[in-house]
Amino acid sequence: MVEIIILIPLLTGILAFFLPRSPGRQLLVLTGVLHLLLSIFLWAKQPEALLPDYFAITSEGLLSLIVISLLFFMISIYTTTYLKISNYKSEKMFTGSMLMFLATMTMVTLSDHIMVMWIAIEATTLASAPLIFTHKTPSSLEATWKYVLVCSVGIAMALLGSVLITVSMEVANIDAPLSFSALSNVAKGLDPMWLKTGFIFILVGYGTKMGLAPMHTWLPDAHSEAPSPASALLSGVLLNCAYLGIFKTNKIMMAAGLGDFSGAILMVFGLISILAAATFILKQTEYKRLLAYSSIENMGIIAFGTGIGGIGAYGAVLCLIHHSLIKSSLFLTSGNILLGYGSKLIDKTGGLVKRMPKSFVAFFAGFAAISGFPPFGIFIGELFIIIGAFRSGHYTAATLFILSLCVIFAGFANQAMKISFGDSAEAARIEEKITMVWPQYALLLTSLVLTFWIPDTLYQTIVHAVTSISGGF
Amino acid sequence: MIHPVDTLLSLVLLSILFSFGSSRLPGLIKALAFQGIIVSVVPLFIGHGVTGEGVLFTSVTLIIRGIAIPLCIYLAIKKVGIKREVEPIIGYNASMLIGLFLILASIFAGKKFNINAIGDVSLLVPTAITVLIGGIYLLIARRNAIAMVLGYIMMENGIYLVGTSFSVRVRHIVEFGILLDVLAGVMIMAVILQNIKQEFDDVDTALLRTLKE
Repeated sequence: MVEIIILIPLLTGILAFFLPRSPGRQLLVLTGVLHLLLSIFLWAKQPEALLPDYFAITSEGLLSLIVISLLFFMISIYTTTYLKISNYKSEKMFTGSMLMFLATMTMVTLSDHIMVMWIAIEATTLASAPLIFTHKTPSSLEATWKYVLVCSVGIAMALLGSVLITVSMEVANIDAPLSFSALSNVAKGLDPMWLKTGFIFILVGYGTKMGLAPMHTWLPDAHSEAPSPASALLSGVLLNCAYLGIFKTNKIMMAAGLGDFSGAILMVFGLISILAAATFILKQTEYKRLLAYSSIENMGIIAFGTGIGGIGAYGAVLCLIHHSLIKSSLFLTSGNILLGYGSKLIDKTGGLVKRMPKSFVAFFAGFAAISGFPPFGIFIGELFIIIGAFRSGHYTAATLFILSLCVIFAGFANQAMKISFGDSAEAARIEEKITMVWPQYALLLTSLVLTFWIPDTLYQTIVHAVTSISGGF
Repeated sequence: MIHPVDTLLSLVLLSILFSFGSSRLPGLIKALAFQGIIVSVVPLFIGHGVTGEGVLFTSVTLIIRGIAIPLCIYLAIKKVGIKREVEPIIGYNASMLIGLFLILASIFAGKKFNINAIGDVSLLVPTAITVLIGGIYLLIARRNAIAMVLGYIMMENGIYLVGTSFSVRVRHIVEFGILLDVLAGVMIMAVILQNIKQEFDDVDTALLRTLKE
């Protein structure tokens, strides 16, 4: 039953390769609606999977799934108009790959088997590569090449890590299915040396895909070269999928009593990513790259929070959800700016407030939210992480964390001001389509509502997911 | 007494040295095809007896890894007329020396591991480590995009050795995963390569330098 939600986008994706343009776009929205409905159904009923060895519904998987569904639905509405205006030659390829990409990401959220998880994450790379290549320019070619090569090598590391975890079973002479839940149950008996080595390789591997520094080199290129709806998907949900792999492996580590070890490594990678983002954000000249580095920063924050555990892990999950909502809305808005101004350079933009007032609202609200202004959720998430860091006595790390956040805010604010209020070469207003603004509004509004009011079922799910990696607050 | 698998594995080690020293793509492809064939045969001799399932998996892997992929790459470079040099960043002699040191270091490192499943095959762990790191080395030290793809394949060979030899119980799902990875990865890379060739008229990755910071 559960597997249907993977099959639907897969089949419609194949169908989209053969459909003419306009029905293809409608199919995109239709699949978005169906997927969202099915996700809500899965959330409410939590049925058993047909292949229980490979797929299962977990709290962390459900959280990611519902975020993917909502985002894809909003993005699909935006995409129909975006495609109409951009008029790509390879539009069938684009819509088909979008749907396949959705299918592979759904598979990641539902997989419970170590190898199936790995296969699904590898499949996301392959399904999303054509998206980055849509523009067919030399620079997009370079970005795709880098993306496929760096991520494939990274994912191969994760494969090695998964294999080493099976070795830890072999050495300790334990016979259990290779699923995350079964491994968590027998974790105490696994060989700790091999388990630790496996975790490091998995962290490096999935961390490459998640955009943790220093393995992040593909991310700014891919995010800036892909068409905006694809960037929104890449940044909003693909990074979460990779994080899910790390999260689940961390769960095994916690169950095996090696939580301190995995936590320390996660914190180090998290801090490096935040510091790297802080250095690069200051001198960015392109707004899409700016957003990409902000994603690296946020992934760093999430890894850092997960490493701290307890209330910090709760903050990390909050950041994860809000980052998806806000960053995808920002990337969609960056698509409006690109269509309006015809350039990715910050210097070529300016005066957004007068020239594209509707996009300005989405852009500026998104900027305030992503840089951790109250009253948006990222603020609360970061606050929890900082409290958690101080509580557990990581004073130096917490100080570094706060300092980098300040630097990033300053750098981001400087560029955002230039785009919004800076001088523009022209003053004429640029036409804005309604369907290319309100998906962003809806995403930001969802984030805002979730900041003040978390539905009980959502809260319980988050707490359930977090408890498994931190043993409660 | 020398275990027969050790003899096979020493051939794999030789193929690594050969690939480090070869300056032309066809030579490199042949070295990798040879390596692929041996690597896919090795698991058959380790652990438990020969089963029908095992033979099937081995032959499928052998055909894809040792014949299909190298042949495709070979035909591709012939068809589009890609320059045959591998464009090294680190020279061939230095690479050979590094390769030798790599083998020594892996043998030292291999002594630290003791896994029951592999019995008395003393070269298995060192070879797996060498192939893995050797692949990464080719990725770093060669600028030609095809040489980089070949480095990636070599790396996957190393993981395959680790996966199929050490984790006997879950062997087939691991094999399946890796096979899928190599197949799909190489296919996508080939498509991109063709486009790079059309766009730049070369596959030297030094040309891909516009997006840097």
